[in-house]
Amino acid sequence: MSTVSRAADRIESVPFLTRDDASLLLVLPGLFVFSAFMLFPVLYLLGISFTNAEPANLFAGEGIVAVLTFGDALFVGLENYADVLTDGQFWNSFGVTWLFVATSVTLKIGASLAIALIVTSDLVRGKRVLRSLIIFPMGLPPIFTITVWRGIFSSAEFGLMNQLLTAFGVSSVAWLSGRWTAFVAYNVTEAWLAYPFMVIITVSALQDVPEELHEAAVVDGAGFLARFAHITLPSIKRPVLFASILTSAASFQQFLIPFVFNQGGPARANELIVVYGYREALSFQQYGRGAAISIIALVFIGAFMWLNVKKGKLADGVND
Amino acid sequence: MLLGAIARKLSDDIKTFATMPVRTVRKWSYTVQAVRRGELPASEVLKVILSTIGATLVVLALLFPIYWILMAALSGSGSSLYTSESFSLFPSNPTVKPFIWVIGDLVVPSYSISAAIPFTDLAFVFQTPGIEILDASDYGVDRPSEFKRFLWNSLMVAIPTVLIAMSLIVPAAYALSRREFLFRRKVLFLYVLMTQVGGGLGVALLIGMYALYVQFGINDSKLALAVYYAATAVPFNTWLLKTYMDGIPVSYEEAAVVDGAPPWRVVTEVIIPMSTAGLATVFIFVFLTGWTEFVVAQTLLGTENYTLPVGLYAMVDEYSIPWARFSAFALTFASPIMLAYLFAQRYIEGGLSFSGMEG
Repeated sequence: MSTVSRAADRIESVPFLTRDDASLLLVLPGLFVFSAFMLFPVLYLLGISFTNAEPANLFAGEGIVAVLTFGDALFVGLENYADVLTDGQFWNSFGVTWLFVATSVTLKIGASLAIALIVTSDLVRGKRVLRSLIIFPMGLPPIFTITVWRGIFSSAEFGLMNQLLTAFGVSSVAWLSGRWTAFVAYNVTEAWLAYPFMVIITVSALQDVPEELHEAAVVDGAGFLARFAHITLPSIKRPVLFASILTSAASFQQFLIPFVFNQGGPARANELIVVYGYREALSFQQYGRGAAISIIALVFIGAFMWLNVKKGKLADGVND
Repeated sequence: MLLGAIARKLSDDIKTFATMPVRTVRKWSYTVQAVRRGELPASEVLKVILSTIGATLVVLALLFPIYWILMAALSGSGSSLYTSESFSLFPSNPTVKPFIWVIGDLVVPSYSISAAIPFTDLAFVFQTPGIEILDASDYGVDRPSEFKRFLWNSLMVAIPTVLIAMSLIVPAAYALSRREFLFRRKVLFLYVLMTQVGGGLGVALLIGMYALYVQFGINDSKLALAVYYAATAVPFNTWLLKTYMDGIPVSYEEAAVVDGAPPWRVVTEVIIPMSTAGLATVFIFVFLTGWTEFVVAQTLLGTENYTLPVGLYAMVDEYSIPWARFSAFALTFASPIMLAYLFAQRYIEGGLSFSGMEG
């Protein structure tokens, strides 16, 4: 603190700064580390996307100079972008990604709202225990749960989902070998992975809904659905909206599920955009192309987040 | 002080948990009596019982995959998930063999300590006895897993991650919550924007990062990985802790200042103790980042430095997964986190309530 206050004294002598501005010093280290490890790779990625980089030429040479010149990779201008944007594979991946965002977010919000309503219902006893059980999956490493879900959707006769289907008299499905069945499997898994986070936020929002409102509505003879639509939903709208935005960003960037399930298959049909970029670069050694795809994905996710923060007034917390 | 508070809360939790059956039975008998006396309509009670059962069933269904995998671990290597046996709720002959395979030998090796007395030829040599806690071969496990090596690697990543991240996050969150300074809005806006992007876009950045790390020759370094994890954890957790601190009434600090406390004491005696829940949440989130991240670790680290998640996935083959061992490995790996989660749950719920978010 003393360093900070000494710096504060010095800063005060600069005319347009106030003493409180020294607090910026407390924020700078985090900002610096974050920029060094997130923003600098973005710039480097952007650089690679304008070259014909592949492992052979990119890693030629050593030291700072080689970093700055991208090894022996050659500048090819916008060739990678033109290539990618005229490739049907890219547009397929792009479409599947947005479709995945739409379906999985709907599923996640629906399921989490239902679960949250169940574990906050006045008719249910032992809510605390149920709630601690329900967020259990959050503590499990994603790579583990996703592999387990791969086993559940195993195309073999004996995957859990197929056993369930046979129990209901439906013939078993080769989940991960069909395009749309695999897509359904992705959605279910994503919903299961995300529900603890969504439920925690929804539950704490539900608990903040004033009890008197409900009581008054009951006196006025409002049924469960009317109360849900006119009291519960408006009160929890903002936190749930916020959680939905975070979770849709997570869906857009989903990597592990397609990667672990079937590498975005069958036949690259379900490669979500991040998987697509990753595979182009690290499986097919087309670093320049992969970088271009990643940059396009970054632009979209950046625009999406920016719009949400602006439109959803998420930064309102910033202004108080 | 902070630890003491946590320990007290924990012992409260345990007490509450232990006395729960007694209290439940007491409540039930009270309800039964009320129904008998006619104070409470039986239909109301029935409704409560039915919805409780319904809710419990929903929760159990949600947790079923975890139960399923636990059963797979306990049923041993004999029945993999792909055998023709259909699923049964309990394994027919439970075994802990997969868990023994994971843990392997637990041996404290014997060390010899020699102490020479200066200026003489005398020297003492102590031989500490080797302690054998668990010998895997006793249970018919010949080649135990490399769990301990992965565990060591994971700790060497997760501990620096937590230390670095906390030292970056806590001061920043305090400043953002309590001070008004140049670029404050800009920084907060950036952090809110980056909240979710932090972890996820790591994959999109991976190509650039991988190339950079290889160029600088730090692609196989656990410390470099830890710094990276800490960096990705900064925006979301700073913002989370900041919103939590916003919920602490300023009047406490004013009281401390009136009593003549210097600024640093206001922080250590008021802000830190009062944001225990937020700190615990952030601590767990940051720890989990380092403990469970897979993609970046797998891309950057060499076989020698594999962390637990990477080691776990290395067991997965394209066509077959040794389910018993896989799940035993994963459950051993996840159990400390799950325990911490159960106990820290109230903190996490409190810390995640977005108290500053309500509009």
